Amino acid sequence: MGKLLTSLSLALLLTGCAGGESAVPGSTTTADQLMAKAPVAGELPAGSTMDKIRKRGELLVGGSLDAPLLSQQNPATGEVTGFDAELSRLLAKYIIGEPRTKLVTATSETREPLLANGTVDVIFQTYTITPKRAERVAFAGPYYESGQSIAVRKGTSGVTKPADLDGKTVIAGANTPAVTAIQQVAPKAKILELGSDPECLTALKQGRADAYVQDQSILIADASLDRDIQLVGDPFTTDPYGIGLKHGDAEFKTFVNDWLREIQRSGLWHEVWRGSIGTVVKGEAPVPPAIGSAQGS
Amino acid sequence: MSLVSVVVVALLVLLALRRFGDSGQLDFAKWRPFLTWPVWRFLLTGAWATVLAAFATGVIAAVFGLLLAVSKGFLARWYVEIMRTVPVLLIIYVMLFVLPSYGLDLPLFWKLVVPLALSHAALFAGIFRAGVASVDPGQREAGLSLGLTERGTLRFVVLPQAIRNMLPSLVSQTVGLLKDTALGFVVSYTELLYTGRVLANYNHLLIQTYLVIALVYLVVNLALSSFSRHLEASLARTAR
Amino acid sequence: MSLLVEGLLTTLALTGLSFVSACLLGIVVVVLRISTVPVLRGIGTAYVETFQNVPLLVWLVLFVFGLPEIGISFPLFWTAAVVISLYEAAYVAEALRSGVNAVAHGQGEAARALGLTFAQSLRHVVVPQAARKVVQPLGNIFIALTMATSLAGAVGVVELTRAANRINLAEAQPLLIFTGAGLCYLVLAAGIGAVVFRLERRFA
Repeated sequence: MGKLLTSLSLALLLTGCAGGESAVPGSTTTADQLMAKAPVAGELPAGSTMDKIRKRGELLVGGSLDAPLLSQQNPATGEVTGFDAELSRLLAKYIIGEPRTKLVTATSETREPLLANGTVDVIFQTYTITPKRAERVAFAGPYYESGQSIAVRKGTSGVTKPADLDGKTVIAGANTPAVTAIQQVAPKAKILELGSDPECLTALKQGRADAYVQDQSILIADASLDRDIQLVGDPFTTDPYGIGLKHGDAEFKTFVNDWLREIQRSGLWHEVWRGSIGTVVKGEAPVPPAIGSAQGS
Repeated sequence: MSLVSVVVVALLVLLALRRFGDSGQLDFAKWRPFLTWPVWRFLLTGAWATVLAAFATGVIAAVFGLLLAVSKGFLARWYVEIMRTVPVLLIIYVMLFVLPSYGLDLPLFWKLVVPLALSHAALFAGIFRAGVASVDPGQREAGLSLGLTERGTLRFVVLPQAIRNMLPSLVSQTVGLLKDTALGFVVSYTELLYTGRVLANYNHLLIQTYLVIALVYLVVNLALSSFSRHLEASLARTAR
Repeated sequence: MSLLVEGLLTTLALTGLSFVSACLLGIVVVVLRISTVPVLRGIGTAYVETFQNVPLLVWLVLFVFGLPEIGISFPLFWTAAVVISLYEAAYVAEALRSGVNAVAHGQGEAARALGLTFAQSLRHVVVPQAARKVVQPLGNIFIALTMATSLAGAVGVVELTRAANRINLAEAQPLLIFTGAGLCYLVLAAGIGAVVFRLERRFA
């Protein structure tokens, strides 16, 4: 914790001195190098969605500002970093030639309408592909596979598997996939919904609940910063994350899927993973999921 | 008696601070980020968004509230009564969940401002009505008997007095409105409180961040109230 | 459905509990605010200014996550009730104060001239007259407080609004569910309004 704080405040001071425009050296240099290597699509069919985006010169992305490792805003620079954010910039570069994105904050309730009325072109927001959702949006991908895990306070006994959550109080982020995941494995669990990861984590540490269910990578990040927290077992769900697109736009979907295949093949995908989720999850980058493998994609 | 209570309050505060410090919340490292300009620039952006949302809400609510106040129909009456008794949060949820499926999906800013304005218009209407009612009817008659037109009487006699009487309620209403923009938290409009959430997510300093946020609200609203007191005082002076 | 009923009951309990304690605390605060001792008056004013100028949502988050850090921890429902009481007490105090102010200054002085103490003049002269003037404002605060309990949902209390939201996530029937919840609040507020109307007539 202390180390993070020092580096954070150091980062803040550095950017403060630099007038706030340039970002922290080191982290973004590699991101810049990554971006330099990123592919750009050739001729685009006139009138297609990607052609419109290229003419506009900006990719409109629905996403989060407060999802650590995936899409988190750095208050000092205003920059949004993480796996989702990096991928969305790569896609922007692929379409436009420049990594120009504009982030529109979305919530799990507003994603479908945002796509339907064209407020955003794509959604990058741990958007789990389900057949039911696929009736209203098109999913490219899956571009990443994750799962819900359980965290407890160190020394907690009686929680070793998901079914143990039954009858216990369990924390989940409000309106996150965790809520339904808990209901499925432990129908009698009492769910305490809180707004953000730090709130959930604080509540767990303060003993307001027995366990906290959240995406595994976020929990690993939490546990790496906080010695009072430990993970229990492996993820108990498989959540294939898709890139949300406007329903019925088959041409754009094929285009985005082709781009995904290309960055997976060239290893760019793995580099983005190493620079974000890979900073807390040990080991080599996982094998990316096969495009179209999830039901609904 | 007073000495005792002061000592008791001071002791309680000290005790709380002590416990707070014991749990490590007062460590300098946890407060240092709040001494840096980038963090403040970020928070001030949020505060500015709060002010913008409050301003937009205030203008719409005041205009709409005025219309409600002058209209004699019972529809306006019902509107005021019903809006007063439905939580803004619920109206925001309707904006968020119901209307998009009917093709009405406003930008984030308006998803916050419109429900707030709809709700606060009812409260503004009440204030306007009370304000006009507070002016002695004799004043209006006096104005008319001096040869002023109906409009002139309203403009030069009734309204100035009504506004002066309404000012305190108008200001507390505006403070209430500014506080209500914190519901941007729900629609993820990046006002002050949501900015705080993003910050807390980044620096993992939940309590420190929200304490600072509370302080910013306090300063902004106290400034607003003291401005109104000045205004009130100067209005009172010109009235004499 | 049972979740909605549970939410409604939680809202009712939260509203009733908070209103009663806000009134009691509000009386203490207003006595401080109109006290002749400057220090006490200062404390009363500071209380009102602090609570009125910071959003309830911020107070809720601060208390829910901050109190355990100073070793005070009780269930979320009770924390929310305490915060709402503290917050609304500031409004109650202001309503009471303007009621007291509305009683002509001469009245208090007359009472003191008759040899009544501060407490006696409050009790026998000022309060009965002020009571008439504060029924309506207190009723408004009661209604506002009912609406305010919806914010407790943001810190994990499953009250009416939160319950409606959760049911909507599962059922995806937003129009029906939110209109239903809105009607519940409407009925609650109408009930409070009726009581206030009765009381007003009795005092007048």
